[in-house]
Amino acid sequence: MIEIIILAFASPLLSGIITKIKNNLRFRKGPGIFQPYFNLIKFFSKEEVVSEHASWIFRIAPPVVFAAAFSALFLLPFGFTGDLIAILFLLSLGRFFLALGGLDPASAFGGMGSSREMFISSLTEPVAMLAVFAIYLDASNIMAVAALFLVALAETSRIPVDNQETHLELTMVHEAMFLEYSGRSLSLIEIAAYIKQLIFFLIIALLIFPGFNGFLFLAAKLLFLCVLVAVTEVSLAKMRLFRVTDFVSFAGLLAVAGIIWKIL
Amino acid sequence: MTHKDEVYIEAAADNFGALCLSLHKEHCSPVMGMFARELKDDYRIYCAFISVKLKKWFFATLDIPKDNPQFPSIAKEIYSANLFEREIREMFGINPIGNPDNRRLRLHEEVWPKGSFPLRKDFVPPKEKPEGREYPFAKVEGEGVFEVPVGPVHAGIIGPGHFRFSVAGEPIVNLELRLGFSHRGVEKLLENKIPSAAVRLTECVAGDSAVAHSWAFCHAVEKIGGIKVPERAAIIRAILLELERMYNHVADIGGMAIDVGFSHPAALASIIKESIHSLNQRLTGSRFLKGINVIGGVARDIGNLDGLDSIMADFKDLKGILLSSVSFLDRVEPTGILRRETAENLGVTGLAGRASGIAIDLRQGFMETYNKLDYKLSTYSSGDCLARLKIRIDEFEGSAKLIRRLLENLPQGEILASDINFKEGYSLGYVEGWRGPVLYWVNLDGEGKIDRCKIIDPSFRSWQGLSYAVLGEIIPDFPLCNKSFDLSYPGGDL
Repeated sequence: MIEIIILAFASPLLSGIITKIKNNLRFRKGPGIFQPYFNLIKFFSKEEVVSEHASWIFRIAPPVVFAAAFSALFLLPFGFTGDLIAILFLLSLGRFFLALGGLDPASAFGGMGSSREMFISSLTEPVAMLAVFAIYLDASNIMAVAALFLVALAETSRIPVDNQETHLELTMVHEAMFLEYSGRSLSLIEIAAYIKQLIFFLIIALLIFPGFNGFLFLAAKLLFLCVLVAVTEVSLAKMRLFRVTDFVSFAGLLAVAGIIWKIL
Repeated sequence: MTHKDEVYIEAAADNFGALCLSLHKEHCSPVMGMFARELKDDYRIYCAFISVKLKKWFFATLDIPKDNPQFPSIAKEIYSANLFEREIREMFGINPIGNPDNRRLRLHEEVWPKGSFPLRKDFVPPKEKPEGREYPFAKVEGEGVFEVPVGPVHAGIIGPGHFRFSVAGEPIVNLELRLGFSHRGVEKLLENKIPSAAVRLTECVAGDSAVAHSWAFCHAVEKIGGIKVPERAAIIRAILLELERMYNHVADIGGMAIDVGFSHPAALASIIKESIHSLNQRLTGSRFLKGINVIGGVARDIGNLDGLDSIMADFKDLKGILLSSVSFLDRVEPTGILRRETAENLGVTGLAGRASGIAIDLRQGFMETYNKLDYKLSTYSSGDCLARLKIRIDEFEGSAKLIRRLLENLPQGEILASDINFKEGYSLGYVEGWRGPVLYWVNLDGEGKIDRCKIIDPSFRSWQGLSYAVLGEIIPDFPLCNKSFDLSYPGGDL
């Protein structure tokens, strides 16, 4: 229990580190790695504004999203006692409510965000499942891990699928869904996103060199993933929305190849 | 007091349309500008065309009696006159009979009462309540079609404009622009000002084109008064105009990169932009090149242009990164195509026009300072975002070459004319700004004050080009298309 809470508290650090590396790669100083914490504290202490058109769905979505992500943490496969499929289910439950929360206040951007998120997740979820099956067959299946990494980029709204840094509502995917949220609800949604990111990164980290999963090794592997994500984000442009199908299909092919490789 | 590059042809009400049409066809020119002016008993309408071949401006003029303020619309034959006619209607209350679009352009129904026309001489600020009518957007109906309203307040630091998308899923079926939110009444503010006091105001019409606007205004006034600008001053103006072009082009190149999430070259572009701003500051004391143009020359001399070499070295890197990135090129090509025919009909000129194959550039043959420089025009025919990006790249490099050549030609001597005078008369001043031709038609009265000053920023016509370029594209590509045009809100709204 303590470990899980520590993990939850540590999750924003990943984003802070990635942002820091990205900024350094772009000849910039950038905010410190603890900036996500300051943002969360700021959101938490701010007043919440709720659209008068919003129903109860809008209010319950953030706690559900947070609860789903937080409980998924408990199922993390430390030494493979966890349940990867249940984690994926919990995360998609959170996504479902977030999409509802985006649709509920009937703002144009929320609807757009929800529709895009659902479009992308309908592609990534089966691929994630395939990758998980491949991993069940063989934990050190490098192709499945690569597939999972690509899925993780899509799921954590990173370039080339989405862009966390943009202010352009028209191009947003994940962020467009919760543009209407503010204050405490926003901070819950943000924490859920950080936790989700941590879950994906941890699973991948556990699977690369599965023999070395002590605390220091794990931290080093997470840091390596952060660098990898940061370099990917800086050196690529975001894809055209409908090009995402190609990207995720490639991940799907990797996962299938991983399964076939093992079976043969 | 005629000027050799301006031809005015008077028409009567029944042959005005035919005259405009023949000028339009003969010179393959869109309506570059159309505006009204108040005389004692009449209103006079001017319709301007450009002849690239003859290097001349043609004006068809029509006098309209004040007691019956209307004229036959030419917008059905020449579409590029449409917006100008609507502008004349709302500013002067002169009705273009037959123009199908009755909507207001800048004086929005929600805030401006009916029957108050600001550019008439007897105008007093209205006290009546506005109509409060809602603006009727074009409606697209059908299964799965819905509207996405964006703006006028945006998330980024850009001007105010309302975009009404009709979309079927992600693809855009129709885009309607509603602009005019940054209308400040500049043309009214300019009235009754002494030209030398008005230059500072013209710099603020579009803040990113301060040199182009103030130069075009000075050009008009200098032509009226026959003021001879010293060669050194003229060349300094041209150098500053090219610097303005460079900082805006590189900002837009970076902007296009950031709009597709390609942040590394965008950061490089902002470094280059900042170097040019610093250079501007060193040269003129103003990062945005303001306060330098005055009637008859320039206010201060410039120093040496160190730093241009390192800027060009950085730019070479930037160009290399962008044009060799598959993921970036996949986004800009072939996105947001503006076909040549559409561009011609809408009167899109300048940068966006050249990307669609319309080879109009006032630096070729129109602007004296550039005449002996042998400037090579860059045009593309594909009309997509990549073409507009490449035009920017070519022009950035071209500007650097021009600056070097201008520096070689920079003679010693005066920077301010000695015979500054403001006499009665009218003339057109023009400058190829970074977006396209910036036109100032100025009429001075007997006391040398401004009686009428019509400002035509290329954005005014080109905004419509954007609404056609995005058709069929998906909504997430709109910011990129918008940035590839990067039009001015205040320049169009005036």
